[in-house]
Amino acid sequence: MIKSKITLMQYIFLIHGVQMGVGVLTLPRELAENSGTDGWIAIIICWFLSIAASLVIIQIMKKYPNGTILDLLSHYFGKWIGKASHVIFALYFALLANVIFIREALFIQAWILPRTEIYIFILLLSIPSYLIVRKDISILGRYSELIFFMTLWIIIIYFIPLKHANWLHLLPLVKEGWEPILNTVKTSIFSFIGFEIAFFLYPFLQRKEKASMGIVIANTISLLAFLMITIGAFVFYSPDEITQYKEPTINILKVVEFQFIERLEIVFLSIYLFVISTTVLPLMFMTVFCTSQLAGKQDHKRHLFWFLLVECMFVVLFPPTYERNTILQQYIQQIGLILAFGLPLCLWGYVWLHGLFKRRAMQ
Amino acid sequence: MKRRCISIFVIVLVALLSSCGRNIPLEDLTISLILGVDLDDEMNLIISESSPVFNEDAKKNIETYQLKAATIRDSRKYFDALATGEVTAAKIQVLLIGKRVLEHEGWFSILDTVYRNPSFSINTKVIVVDGPVSEVIFYEPDDKPQMPLYLKEVIDKNYIRTRTVESNLQVLHRQMYEKGMTPTLPKIIKENDVKFVGVVLLEENGKYVDALSIQETSFLLILMDKQKQELTLSIPITTFTDEGGIFNKNMLSIDISKVKSKVTTNYKQGKFHFNYKISMTVNIIERIFPKDKVKEAELKKLIEKELLSRFEAIIEKIQENKIDPIGLGIYARAFQYEQYKKVEKQWGEALSESNIDISLDIDINGTGAIK
Repeated sequence: MIKSKITLMQYIFLIHGVQMGVGVLTLPRELAENSGTDGWIAIIICWFLSIAASLVIIQIMKKYPNGTILDLLSHYFGKWIGKASHVIFALYFALLANVIFIREALFIQAWILPRTEIYIFILLLSIPSYLIVRKDISILGRYSELIFFMTLWIIIIYFIPLKHANWLHLLPLVKEGWEPILNTVKTSIFSFIGFEIAFFLYPFLQRKEKASMGIVIANTISLLAFLMITIGAFVFYSPDEITQYKEPTINILKVVEFQFIERLEIVFLSIYLFVISTTVLPLMFMTVFCTSQLAGKQDHKRHLFWFLLVECMFVVLFPPTYERNTILQQYIQQIGLILAFGLPLCLWGYVWLHGLFKRRAMQ
Repeated sequence: MKRRCISIFVIVLVALLSSCGRNIPLEDLTISLILGVDLDDEMNLIISESSPVFNEDAKKNIETYQLKAATIRDSRKYFDALATGEVTAAKIQVLLIGKRVLEHEGWFSILDTVYRNPSFSINTKVIVVDGPVSEVIFYEPDDKPQMPLYLKEVIDKNYIRTRTVESNLQVLHRQMYEKGMTPTLPKIIKENDVKFVGVVLLEENGKYVDALSIQETSFLLILMDKQKQELTLSIPITTFTDEGGIFNKNMLSIDISKVKSKVTTNYKQGKFHFNYKISMTVNIIERIFPKDKVKEAELKKLIEKELLSRFEAIIEKIQENKIDPIGLGIYARAFQYEQYKKVEKQWGEALSESNIDISLDIDINGTGAIK
């Protein structure tokens, strides 16, 4: 049934790509609002949690190695639950892709092209999206891998503002006790959401014995990226000041200026669009993968076309605003939390019990 | 058929493409390089701007305007009415603020658009003018480059030589919001020429309180641990009686090649204690008095004494004015968080009651090429 295969590298960068999206642009502020400059500790806690959930996902998928979560659910719970899971996952991925896609356009509008309408961005972004997502998962995997290495140099630019840094901002560690830090976990956990696509990637993976290692590496790369950006922002901005900026991750680059180039944050954001695309495109793929499976079709091209068309219609009919997008994002993140953390745990318990009873029955 | 459909689709999209519609040739732009903010005698806000002219027919290569406006953004409509091209703020190099503005609380909010509008450069230098801004912005000396370039160079050069604080919009924003530090800005004055004269010290809310001379600023920068490549201090050794006459026979100039300034923070008996340990490696670069007047070991002691009295004078000035340009509050927050949080809102007051001790250790490295 599954023909295309992805390598371990593609698997790692697909997962990392989905985690690394628009959230990181506002992450330092969100952390600082809740727990000041201790926010980065919360990221490490989130990393532990997401690794635990990721490993559980892999354990579940091991029970049914040749199918996705959809096949697994149909196998254990019957046809109707299987069908329902198709719809739920399709809706979840569609909404998540929609939120990030529109947010991407909003960022371009705010920072780069303030006089252009949102629907034009969506229209223009739809074309390359269509061209990449219409093929199978291995194309997407290659794309994510390429973009990761292509944008790695952004890190170097991030080191330039650090010469103005004051590391004393980070002290003392755990200022107000652990309570605010644990509260921050609630918001920062969303940065790691995205690893649940492992539910779908696992059957495509060539060397399945490396799946656990791969997902740990993917989460760790994301952790390092988040840590670097948040700590960079915390030492650059005063703790009393950082909450003033909506997107401190972009603002911090405004101080970087060379003789031959100014407003480097525009260049950065333009290149960062590629990074955002590695979040959006796999989500779009997952959406149409679910719907085309539901319809019993192998080819998802037509579904993708309709998805993008609906997306364009949506922004024309309901011109998005930053506030509305944020509200929608908060809702969808709650669902993400259930699917990425709740579902694996419940399913793991069920699969384990199921195995136990089966063995009893055999005896 | 399919191919035709696609080609039509592509043509439609190309027509929709952004950024082709609103292009402006450079010569049609009025690129402000200096923005001035000042108050006139009736306390009206005066905004001024200066921009280069790219036109062969124009006799002067710079145009400068000054006008009354409610806010900075509001001033743009008046500038557009005056200037040749569309006025743009994206390339402002220098922001001049009149000292009169700083004498009133709450002036910082007038700069809101500078931070809100992403097209403003955050690296714009912020300079205080002692006197009317118009005198500086309209000043066109024959022997200098255009004012924006000149001002930028003057501040940059003095910054490299450890004579002025770092000051741009980003730093100002940080210092205004930081509770454990008060802002400092470089100051220029227009007499016969426009010149840099030191820094101004502001209160937590931005109000002007005091000023430091150029040499005092160097000492402040050592306390802030922000010395740059070059740092020279010229001091009279006051223990020698100045024999009078035209030439100050007790002057000594030292070039400080290495400075380490460490602060330890303590809280004892309801007071903050800051202990500075400053160690310097110095070269004597100029010594007017004869060699036999003092032995080298004694000279070291004498220099230490002189420098120490200057550091203490600055500390005294800071404590008297209840401000914290050094940023000792950041140290207090890092090392004595609980106590600091209690006094965070009145940090200047807490600092004025605290103990700041300085111990100085000088190492004379060289005395130059002549005996």
